[in-house]
Amino acid sequence: MQTKEELKTTHDSNRDTGTPRWVKVFGIIGIILVLVFVILHLAGGGFHGHTAPMEHGGQQP
Amino acid sequence: MSMSPALRKFALTAHVTASVGWFGAVASFLALAVAGLTSQNPQIVRAAYLAMGLTAWWVIVPVSLASPLTGIIQSLGTEWGLFRHYWVLIKFVITIPATIILLLHMKPIGHLARVVAETTLARGELSGMRIQLVANAAAALVVLLIATALSIYKPRGMTRYGKTRQRESMQ
Repeated sequence: MQTKEELKTTHDSNRDTGTPRWVKVFGIIGIILVLVFVILHLAGGGFHGHTAPMEHGGQQP
Repeated sequence: MSMSPALRKFALTAHVTASVGWFGAVASFLALAVAGLTSQNPQIVRAAYLAMGLTAWWVIVPVSLASPLTGIIQSLGTEWGLFRHYWVLIKFVITIPATIILLLHMKPIGHLARVVAETTLARGELSGMRIQLVANAAAALVVLLIATALSIYKPRGMTRYGKTRQRESMQ
């Protein structure tokens, strides 16, 4: 866990304004991945839905 | 709300155990999913999907709930907070959807387990679902790895809310 000295150091470095670059990069990658996920699910893309399909002998389990 | 050092350690132990346990369980799940998808041996395929059903319900679901829960408890009980530091906030943001997506995928996992319990899965049968389980497990592993890395490295950066709270506490 963070000590008081580390917290002070964090405070000193966090006096910088604006969102850190790594957060922005994370956010961009995250948005791209969410879009890919949504597109894949909407397009079908060989993936099945979350409900049980009727592939197996045409019978529901 | 601040926890005593002893309680803080207990909460941290619970959180690390649940989180790393979640990672290990998903890694095992992925290995089983790959085996179920690729093996030519019907017995291995059967065993894999049966094991995946058991593992998912009895290990992965509990730790996937325990991990964010203990994380929230721990963050609120320490100076880190839940919304003050970006690394904590991002962990929270990526872990909650991972838990939700897991719970949504319990149906196909259970379905496959029931199918192989009753009969032999033909090659290529339910392939879409089987491929999806591999893909989702792999994606979950990446998310959990990122969360673990964030926990260790704790990259610097306070949110606007965190900076405001810090200014208030300094006054």
